[in-house]
Amino acid sequence: MVLSLAPLLGLLLLQAAPVAGRPTSTIRGVVEVRLDLPSASARPSVNEMGAPARHDTPDRRRSVVYFETAPQGAFEDHDRPHAAMDQKNESFVPYVLPIAIGTTVDFPNRDRTFHNVFSLSKPQRFDLGRYAAGRSKAVRFDRPGVVRVFCDIHSHMNAFILVFAHRFFAATDENGAYRIDNVPPGTYNLAVWTDGRVRGVKSVRVGDDGGIVTQDFVVE
Amino acid sequence: MAEDAKTTGFHVRVGGEASGTVAGEDRGFFNDTAYRRNALQLFRASLLGELQAGPHAALLGELRTENLERPQLYGLYLRLRPLPKRAIDLQVGRIPPVFGAFARRRYGQDNPLIGTPLGYQYLTTVRADAVPANADEMLARRGGGWLTRYSIGSQRFDAGLPVIESLRWDTGVELRVGEEPVEWSVALTRGSLGNPRLGDDNGGKQVATRLAWYPLPGLRLGGSFARGEYLDDTVRALLPTPGHYRQQAFGADVEYSWSRVLLRSEAIVGRWQMWPGGTPRIEAPLSFRSAFLEGRYRAAPGLTLAARVDRLDFGHITGSEGTQTWDAPVTRVEAAVGYAVQRHVQVKASYQYNWRNAGLVHRQGFVIGQVLLWF
Repeated sequence: MVLSLAPLLGLLLLQAAPVAGRPTSTIRGVVEVRLDLPSASARPSVNEMGAPARHDTPDRRRSVVYFETAPQGAFEDHDRPHAAMDQKNESFVPYVLPIAIGTTVDFPNRDRTFHNVFSLSKPQRFDLGRYAAGRSKAVRFDRPGVVRVFCDIHSHMNAFILVFAHRFFAATDENGAYRIDNVPPGTYNLAVWTDGRVRGVKSVRVGDDGGIVTQDFVVE
Repeated sequence: MAEDAKTTGFHVRVGGEASGTVAGEDRGFFNDTAYRRNALQLFRASLLGELQAGPHAALLGELRTENLERPQLYGLYLRLRPLPKRAIDLQVGRIPPVFGAFARRRYGQDNPLIGTPLGYQYLTTVRADAVPANADEMLARRGGGWLTRYSIGSQRFDAGLPVIESLRWDTGVELRVGEEPVEWSVALTRGSLGNPRLGDDNGGKQVATRLAWYPLPGLRLGGSFARGEYLDDTVRALLPTPGHYRQQAFGADVEYSWSRVLLRSEAIVGRWQMWPGGTPRIEAPLSFRSAFLEGRYRAAPGLTLAARVDRLDFGHITGSEGTQTWDAPVTRVEAAVGYAVQRHVQVKASYQYNWRNAGLVHRQGFVIGQVLLWF
């Protein structure tokens, strides 16, 4: 299984053009993660004069479901939306943030302490420097791929931003449910990504009559 | 990020760091450590472990090897938190230093430069197992702390003590109360700042305490004090006045960060009580003053620039040929550039220059390279 989305996102295949006026569908389902994904921990605080402050642990079971192949026209969105990744109780929230190219992500600091958000990932290298609670800095993501996000001060803080060249993706909620709306008729490869890896790909057919298509995944 | 493994009732965390440092020959021994190794020509690997046993107790340790010699346990202690919701911790064993701030930084990762501040590394001419017969003998050793010998006590040539030994931890018990914005720690240990001990060599105890205050986000102010016996029983037994020979120090530290800039400074003043000896007598305690200021700038993702100005100065004593500082004051400047190839792999290059007015070599500069890996 591939380790990174970058090759997939850079080689999206085009499907047949949707016919204007045709109804669109919704693909929804549940991703059941059966993997044992231990929470990421800080390095052992061997040098500290006491126990470090407790912090939240990210939900590493959150997944992203996305089209490996997108309909023609999917790349023509000109929206420049905003998304947010909070720094809260020494954790990035959400742990996984899927966005479309051109999205600007805000990184508000909702902690009492400083954070220093940065990434060394090829699709988007950035370093926001240290800033205090109540402040926010933003980064615009213009290239597709997987961006690993860290805090320079707190080694246990890490997160993923998945930058897609189209809009057909969704993150799972706390129950593992996802939903991708406005899908034109066609047959698509639907992939599920969990904790740094593509865990499965399924072919999904969306008919001409609209409605809802259900596709579940089990990640083992 | 540490590797995480959960077992029933226990939580194990493991981390590690390895660094390789290269530089030209240090003819003046400016960068020798108490282990008689050159800190600029060193391979160091350490494994850090924490075994958490429920909310009240954890066992922490660090296993380290230098230049691939037999690994040793540099730290091993039990951390107890009697009330899980209250920030009161008790640490017992070979515990991290309470005094100052630098000694608790991670050795490579938290040091934006490559060299170590003088107060935490430079070897003075004070020995724990030997003392000079008089002021003249003390003054004759100025600038030779890397390898010195006195006529009373051990006759072996050996390294002197640094003001604070940052690589070796002391053995005892420590209480920490509170967390940001105010935290206080106090420790009772067997050794002294310059000579932390696993076993006791003089029956004396060191008291060290530190108060840290975080008045604003990004600003930390700290104050420290330590006092402990440093002279070992073998040499005390040879002195006509065995008495108490203590090292005492006060420290102040500040750290301020904003955006891409991080500034740190520490100042240490203190003294070693020394046997006065014969004529000419050492009339005053051997005082020392150390201060450094360092800054780091994150110039681009993964790229850091850093610099440090550092000074270690000593008090005066009078010998047959006049009054001088009892050891040769040292000044050090260093500038470094660091680049994170990956998150867990850093390369650094720096230039360090040292001055002093005694010793084998009075001035020397070094071009230094370092590769650092951590997990």
